[in-house]
Amino acid sequence: MNIVVLIKQVPGTDNVKMDPETGVMIRSGKDTIINPLDENALAEAVRIKNSRDDVKLTAISMGPESAMKALKEAVAMGADAGILLSGRVFAGSDTIATGRALSAAIKKLGQVDLIICGERATDGETGQTGAMIAEFLDIPVQTYVSALEVKDNSVIVKRTVEGGFEYVEVPFPVLVTVNKDINEPGFPTLDGKLKAKQVEIPVWGNEELGLDKSVLGLGGSPTRVVKVFSPKLSRDTIMRKADGTTGPVDELIQFLTGKEVL
Amino acid sequence: MQYNKVNDGIIEELKTIVGAANVLTEHEKMEMYARDEVSDQLWEKMPEVVVKPENALQISEIVKLANRELVPITPRGGGTGLAAGAVPMIGGIVLSLEKMNRILEVDTENLFMVVEPGVTTGEVQKTAREHGLLYAGDPCSADSSFIGGNVATNAGGNKAVKYGVTTRHIYGLEIVMPNGDIVTFGGKNVKDVTGYDIVHLIVGSEGTLGIVTKIWLKLMPLPKYVADLLIPFADMQTAIKVVPKIMTAGIIPTCLEFMDSLSIKAAEMYLNKKLPYSDAGAYIICEVDGTSETQVQDDYETIGKLCQENGALEVFVADNKSTQERIWKARKSYAEAIRMLSPVYCMEDIVVPVSEIPKCLEAIERISKKYDCKIPSCGHAGDGNIHATILREGRDDHAWHELKDNVLRELYEVVYQLGGNLSGEHGIGAKRAEAMHKHMTEAQLNVLRSIKKALDPNNIMNPGKVLVLQ
Amino acid sequence: MPTMDLSNYKGVFVIGEQRDGKIHSVTYELLTRGRALADDLGCQLSCVLLGDEIENVQEVIYRGADKVFHIKSPALKNFLPRPYRNAICRLVEEEKPEIIVAAATTTGRTIMPLVAARLNTGLTADCTELTIDPETRILLQTRPAIGGNIMATIKTPNHRPQMATVRPKSAKPAPADPTRTGEIIVKEYDGAVFMTPEKFLRFVKDTTQQVNIEDADIIVAGGKGMKSAEGFRLVEELAEVLGAGVGATRDAVELGWTTYPHQIGLSGKTVSPKLYIALGLSGKIQHMAGMQTSEVIVAINKDPEAQIFKVADFGIVGDVFEVVPMLIEAIKKIKATA
Repeated sequence: MNIVVLIKQVPGTDNVKMDPETGVMIRSGKDTIINPLDENALAEAVRIKNSRDDVKLTAISMGPESAMKALKEAVAMGADAGILLSGRVFAGSDTIATGRALSAAIKKLGQVDLIICGERATDGETGQTGAMIAEFLDIPVQTYVSALEVKDNSVIVKRTVEGGFEYVEVPFPVLVTVNKDINEPGFPTLDGKLKAKQVEIPVWGNEELGLDKSVLGLGGSPTRVVKVFSPKLSRDTIMRKADGTTGPVDELIQFLTGKEVL
Repeated sequence: MQYNKVNDGIIEELKTIVGAANVLTEHEKMEMYARDEVSDQLWEKMPEVVVKPENALQISEIVKLANRELVPITPRGGGTGLAAGAVPMIGGIVLSLEKMNRILEVDTENLFMVVEPGVTTGEVQKTAREHGLLYAGDPCSADSSFIGGNVATNAGGNKAVKYGVTTRHIYGLEIVMPNGDIVTFGGKNVKDVTGYDIVHLIVGSEGTLGIVTKIWLKLMPLPKYVADLLIPFADMQTAIKVVPKIMTAGIIPTCLEFMDSLSIKAAEMYLNKKLPYSDAGAYIICEVDGTSETQVQDDYETIGKLCQENGALEVFVADNKSTQERIWKARKSYAEAIRMLSPVYCMEDIVVPVSEIPKCLEAIERISKKYDCKIPSCGHAGDGNIHATILREGRDDHAWHELKDNVLRELYEVVYQLGGNLSGEHGIGAKRAEAMHKHMTEAQLNVLRSIKKALDPNNIMNPGKVLVLQ
Repeated sequence: MPTMDLSNYKGVFVIGEQRDGKIHSVTYELLTRGRALADDLGCQLSCVLLGDEIENVQEVIYRGADKVFHIKSPALKNFLPRPYRNAICRLVEEEKPEIIVAAATTTGRTIMPLVAARLNTGLTADCTELTIDPETRILLQTRPAIGGNIMATIKTPNHRPQMATVRPKSAKPAPADPTRTGEIIVKEYDGAVFMTPEKFLRFVKDTTQQVNIEDADIIVAGGKGMKSAEGFRLVEELAEVLGAGVGATRDAVELGWTTYPHQIGLSGKTVSPKLYIALGLSGKIQHMAGMQTSEVIVAINKDPEAQIFKVADFGIVGDVFEVVPMLIEAIKKIKATA
């Protein structure tokens, strides 16, 4: 059984800051983590792998060279192999172009039964890439999965949706996006870390994928960012300073009564 | 010692000094100043008045007033203490330093930060980090404890194994002395033997010798690489016997912590998260840091292998923020998590030489069986500091006090036999003052008393803490 | 890539939602969005409904649609990605809309990427604002980006349809106007369209998701400034005396002070109550994306520079632990006399 886990390297959340003058993001490149939901995806794949003896588990990531670290971490947590898609040709990809590149990489692996990824990444938060990959592979997708049971030739998933859970059975091959309720993410082990040191992680560019260059990167992305800006927020704010008396609170109550919201 | 009550005249004077808004007298507002993190009503007491001064001059005025009127003052930081040190056990004025919460200077040339006492330790750490520097003090309560409280108790914490306790990071203090004088000792000089070492007399004096109003903190380069190991063991003894082996393996870990099985279960309940190998008998948590990635890797591999050879069930490695946070959440939640087992408990802070920890834990287990009570333990294995915690569970008042008396008596006896002491980092406060007197010689106590008497002849500064009231 | 003839694409589609044959109210919110776009473009607004029997389809016309396409099949009774994708793609090929808007629900967020990838067009998730560029007639889609720290405006210049999902509760439901007329077209495609290897097993209601802050008139929300789980109880206390829902920032949820269903913001829920009281929260864009359309916003924070004050109607600079207990007392007094 072949399982692929898709992993995105994202900045540790506290490290994204804005330059208050220019509105440009200041990213400290060093402190990166595996996208938290992808850790859940990985933990689920490792759980399946440990429950049977025929699983080959491959982690794939698309990103800068530094994303190698995330793949090594995936191997340390239990993946057998890792593949990094990297290169200028992928730069500026939107979710469509990203999905297309990652699906081409998965196709190159041959028959894959189960693909697992996080429902969304903490940096982009679009939550689109997983389903798009399934579409490019033309295989079924199940999203928002909070429990997963592997049968002989299928999976039964529990989807967390508005107001309840849906249970769906899907035969292989299938792509599943998971949410954080599915498990507690694991930790790399020392033995895993030592193994990860030895494992070669190939870097694939478009030579390996063999796609038409025009469908990759910025050129292959239907969407364009028009502008990025800090939102202007403004309301006429009545400001009071707490002074130890009930004055400001009394004024607030009066204000709220006036607005008829109390 | 006879103290006077805080009367209306005193309250009016306090209002004149700090402004009416900074004087609290209403019961419900003063409630949160009536206790610290000790979970026992025995160590709660309502203040007569709470004042929140904004500078050293105001404090000086308050202290002079207290001397004149013979009213005790209890200085207070974040209220996260574990020895009732900031609880006004005999009433009087609680002097909260919450309004003095400014970071005055970050000196990146000399590697110093100058702060007021009301800044939280977490804020100090964060500010240092933002400048690429490390403030190495790291008590578990860092997010809410005040740096002033860390100074007062000479807080220890997780990184003491490598970087030492709070006092090692303090190079200068501005102090309002018990007579109201404002004095500064030390500063940015790394070497300074000009006169007595008053700075380090005040650090750890728990507000009994004066009130710290400005602190010179030493910073150091921020280690670029950090890795944490989480190592489950089948039982406590196997786990703890690895500790001296790690400490003598040629590497100084930044942290070396342990949790016993009850603490692990409590953390799991508190965090509502499954922890790996949570049925293990014990966890060891070990952190290494450094400026070179390969060095840090070599260090954790050495320690990890040592643990594998000595009975570890698994060795987990966390070398990024998310995995590290997950490990430390379990350890740092101890004080809160224990409440899941029993809302009332008595957390101890004993310390023994590292090589004696196995014997000490054996004794704790024996005592726990003898009195048929649960005593989860967790703490800083690397410096022999054990937070054994007696759980009250369903006991009535009488049974609980009897249990505590018996357990503590036997526990302290063992600790002293092993060459240890009764508080490593939480301090004596009111909670352990009697026990300390029991275990110190008269000569030792006389040294403490003489100092106190010389500096605070009216005994108005946090009376009843450290030294028992005469 | 071959360029498309964009002029062939006309009209605005919104993808409505139903469960058990009942139209979900998010459909009417989409009609508000869709109507505005269609009016700007001077084109028709169509609502797509997928399902078997659906009650009261006429309501969709009353609430602003010019046309309803009801794609009807027992296979569409429950949501399965493939039949939904096939049906929508088929209809898009037939009708060629220039814009498709769906709700950022679990259904909308699943089906839209499939359709976009199949049609090779752009899709923007979780938009907070949709407008038409008056010069180019292109859809401008604005969404919070990078952990909610900034806003990005995105367009799909050379592909059609232009696709976006919008947060539920980010627009008011369109009001019903029973005088409106329109066309209801029932589409019954052949069985091949609905073929799928997926098998829907069952739906189980979850009562633990009962925390429904989206519907609360008043919300009291707390952030990191509540300091601890114990401190956060103050948020709940104020909520209780007000009969309000309890909200929280991502930080507060991650610290375990409350549970995920209470999370408000980009990665949580979007709310728009009559009164929003923000306690000890600085107002990261991540959070504000989920609450800034609230009618009246009150903020209490000790940092006068906190962003939250910029969207507040009434702000108190002060310690929440000092101010909130006073507020609780004051409200109790009002309630006692009322």
